[in-house]
Amino acid sequence: MAVPTSPEANKLPYTWRVVGASVRGVSHFKSDLPCQDAHVWREIPGGAVVLAVADGAGSAPLSQLGAARAAVSATEWVAELMKGTWPETDEDWLGLLAACLETAHEAVNLAAKKRKAPVRDLATTLILVVATPRVVAAVQVGDGCAVVLDSGQTLVPVTAPQRGEFVNETLFFTSPDYLKAAQFKIWHGLVAGVAILSDGLQMLALQLPDATPHAAFFQPLFRMTTEHQDMREAEFQLRSFLQSDRITSRADDDLTIVMATLHRTP
Amino acid sequence: MAGIFRFEDAIEFAENPEPRCPCVMLLDTSKSMRGEAIQQLNHGLVAFHDNLVRDSLAARRVEVAVVNFGKDVRVVHDFVSVDSFTPPVLEAGGLTPMGTGILKALDLLEARKAAYKAHGVPYYRPWIFMITDGKPKGEPDGTIDEAVRRLREDENNKRVVFFAVAVRGAYIEKLREISVRPPVTLDGLNFVELFVWLSRSTQQIAHSQVPLPPPGGGSF
Repeated sequence: MAVPTSPEANKLPYTWRVVGASVRGVSHFKSDLPCQDAHVWREIPGGAVVLAVADGAGSAPLSQLGAARAAVSATEWVAELMKGTWPETDEDWLGLLAACLETAHEAVNLAAKKRKAPVRDLATTLILVVATPRVVAAVQVGDGCAVVLDSGQTLVPVTAPQRGEFVNETLFFTSPDYLKAAQFKIWHGLVAGVAILSDGLQMLALQLPDATPHAAFFQPLFRMTTEHQDMREAEFQLRSFLQSDRITSRADDDLTIVMATLHRTP
Repeated sequence: MAGIFRFEDAIEFAENPEPRCPCVMLLDTSKSMRGEAIQQLNHGLVAFHDNLVRDSLAARRVEVAVVNFGKDVRVVHDFVSVDSFTPPVLEAGGLTPMGTGILKALDLLEARKAAYKAHGVPYYRPWIFMITDGKPKGEPDGTIDEAVRRLREDENNKRVVFFAVAVRGAYIEKLREISVRPPVTLDGLNFVELFVWLSRSTQQIAHSQVPLPPPGGGSF
């Protein structure tokens, strides 16, 4: 492997700028459902970041709880672990992702038990990305996708939407065979940015049928994250964009995007 | 604010076809429907159109075809999106080949799905609304049984959502035998709510059952 992945090589003076937003979909307004998407991120000292997006099922009554538990527990577990050592080999990374899924799955099960509800009432998808300057490790169960922007400004899909025959039928992280259903991907290269989106944005951001990332969608968003110093202002803009007529006339589901760009610390 | 608009304008969307939701209106035009019943049915068709056309996403995504069973079993109107659908006005006459009609509707949906697949168009689970007074008659023995068997199989595998919609004075017991979900009345049937419900994300695996909400309208 030409690109070193050891912790020493990775722990360079870098920081991440992260911006994310989840907005309630038009169809959720109509049927009085809350926003059932969740997004979470944590920066890890030394130049890594972990991001997660979970999309609660519209058909499950407690799915916003499931989505929040899945995203938060997965992200915190990875952030805590990587305070110590970072994975070195691909095998280490895969082990970390699988253990993170198991931890989050357990957390959702526990939340269901506390509510005395069947876990399917908390049905959600989960996408988690850990990015260092030279490695992106991604795992996904269900719909949505994760994308890497490399230093040459090329967009690389690291995970792909998983759905059944019908548009609105997906795999859920809360199903018993979630580990078998999960997509794992360890990508090596020079990272400029990463993004995760929920399935609500898929039709606009990906070119079907191959689900290739649409550059005209992603490039301005990455540019915004790169150029904005003030992340609160960036988040406001992102939120306004997701709530604009241009989007809501074409997408009625909850919409989430979370993205991070890498910056050398001055 | 100017910054926001510039940012919005900078972003372009992938040119993907809208996902489609194929829907067959399967209509009883037999002699027993003469009079008030056929009027109710024609009104129902207009209500379906009016209801969905006011919702911009549903108008583009729901595609409707009309099949009648009466004097004959015929595709009166092949699939078009709701915004370009003109509800036909139907007349009653002839027997009630309901089983043949159901099989025709299922075949039509299969063909439509094949066309979607061939063109890479994503789609939702198809619907059939059968508006009837509920008395199959005038087709070979076993046709209705064959239709019910296929309908149940498709429902259980989540390939289709079938609603038996009864006009006033309909033979409800028979409709209960045909449809896996309780028959409903036309009055106040809310098609937009139904579309919203049907397009919520659900589990891919066939066995996880989410209970159907009442589609609006009266039930028995």
